Amino acid sequence: MSSPISSWEGASTVFTFADKPMVLGFILVVAVALTIFAIYATVRHEQVSYKSPMIKK
Amino acid sequence: MEQATPTLEELQQLIQMSNTINMEIFYWWCIALMMVIHAGFLSYEIGASRLKNALTAGVKNILAFAFIVPTFFFFGWWIYNGFSGGLIPDLDGAAASLPWASSMGPNITDNATGIFWAAFVLFAATTASIMSGALIERTRMSAFIVLAIILGSGVWILGAAWSWHPAGWLTTEWGFHDVGAAGCVHTIAGFFTLGVVMNVGARIGRFNADGSSNNIVGHSMPMSVIGLMLVIVGFFGFLGGCIIYNGGGQWTNIYGQPATLSAFAFNTLMGFSGGLIGAYLTTREPFWMMSGGLIGIVSVAPGLDVYYPPLAFVIGMGVAAAAPLVHKFLGKRGIDDAVGAFAVHGFGGFAGLVLSGIFIAGYPNVIEGSPAVNFLGQTGGAIVLAALGFIPGYFISLLMKKMGVLRVPAHAEERGLDLVEVPAQAYPEWAITGASITTVSESEVRPNTIIGETKPA
Repeated sequence: MSSPISSWEGASTVFTFADKPMVLGFILVVAVALTIFAIYATVRHEQVSYKSPMIKK
Repeated sequence: MEQATPTLEELQQLIQMSNTINMEIFYWWCIALMMVIHAGFLSYEIGASRLKNALTAGVKNILAFAFIVPTFFFFGWWIYNGFSGGLIPDLDGAAASLPWASSMGPNITDNATGIFWAAFVLFAATTASIMSGALIERTRMSAFIVLAIILGSGVWILGAAWSWHPAGWLTTEWGFHDVGAAGCVHTIAGFFTLGVVMNVGARIGRFNADGSSNNIVGHSMPMSVIGLMLVIVGFFGFLGGCIIYNGGGQWTNIYGQPATLSAFAFNTLMGFSGGLIGAYLTTREPFWMMSGGLIGIVSVAPGLDVYYPPLAFVIGMGVAAAAPLVHKFLGKRGIDDAVGAFAVHGFGGFAGLVLSGIFIAGYPNVIEGSPAVNFLGQTGGAIVLAALGFIPGYFISLLMKKMGVLRVPAHAEERGLDLVEVPAQAYPEWAITGASITTVSESEVRPNTIIGETKPA
């Protein structure tokens, strides 16, 4: 169950998996890893593009 | 049916909730207006690029925003709340800002954290956009993204913790006063940009071997000018985000001193118009006039809450008149800041802070034991923030340069970055003229020529 609450009465923190720190940590790590991967993918895209015969003199 | 009369306690709860929701609504719309800043920077940068680089400039600007949002969530907000005392983090004070804290997500009992976080994200994205324009047409996308994250989610927010926070040490120790973020946003971003521009080098064809220079013009000045006007529109959201909504009480500035949006309205507009006129007097051209309007706002930002409006007009005019000369001075020293970002934001913010030391000295602080606003505090704060921007900008980009990851290869720069980086065309009908693959080498240009795009036949 992703919901940390079973009733809205007296609810405070309501975001998904708020009551499951391990899952939260895992999602956060995935988000950080994807951000870093996106930068790596940009570097790869540049390296391939700069070597492309289409743009070589 | 007769309605029950609410109790005093119920009425108090009603008013309190109404105030809380009004606060959320106020900042929500400030955030929306701040988005317009980015629409403006997008248009301005695309217009300032030659046709062969137009889309890359746009993609670069959009990606800065995209990467700042998550990284500011991961660590930026924590830096703001943890480093107000200097370089040693206050771990307890910043615990609620860690990315797994209960307030860092939907929380029915916390109406403030998300909306303030979002406003600060937009400030952060503004710093990256300030840098973005200066680096167009020759900087690697990946290098720019890394630098944007460092500036937007690291450096500026550290400066904000020091200077734009009720407990920031520059304020509590030196009496620093900068309600409109001229220091932490503009000065830091401008000086960081200067450091990067010095290492990334000039665009091919900008300077000649004999020391003379060529003016590289963008493909659409109207697009740039409209973009700058959008930036100005967005600044009303930016400055709205610089004032604290206190439900049921008077507004305060970020340091807790009483302030009004009326004061901001007077001085923003007077600074803006002074800046427009000042830049017109020294340049006569619309790009610098609109930049001048922005310089006018930036230069009066430290004292928006207290300046006499005609004084804001004079300050805006003076600083904006001088800024194009600063830009020319950099150009004569071989520094190619493509859009004058340093002159507008670095110089504009720095000069505004120093002048505020003269004109708003003596205003008292409300934080117990903190000195009143004073010249040394304002000038010292400006120097600290300029150094905080320049040092990481220069040395990190120097490291990137040494690693060969800062600048695109010369052949890619000459052919145009749209051809290299973006699988789309800005103006497809124009492509057949060869405009998008215009090659300009340094040896092909004569001194003092204008390099632009071939126009369609």
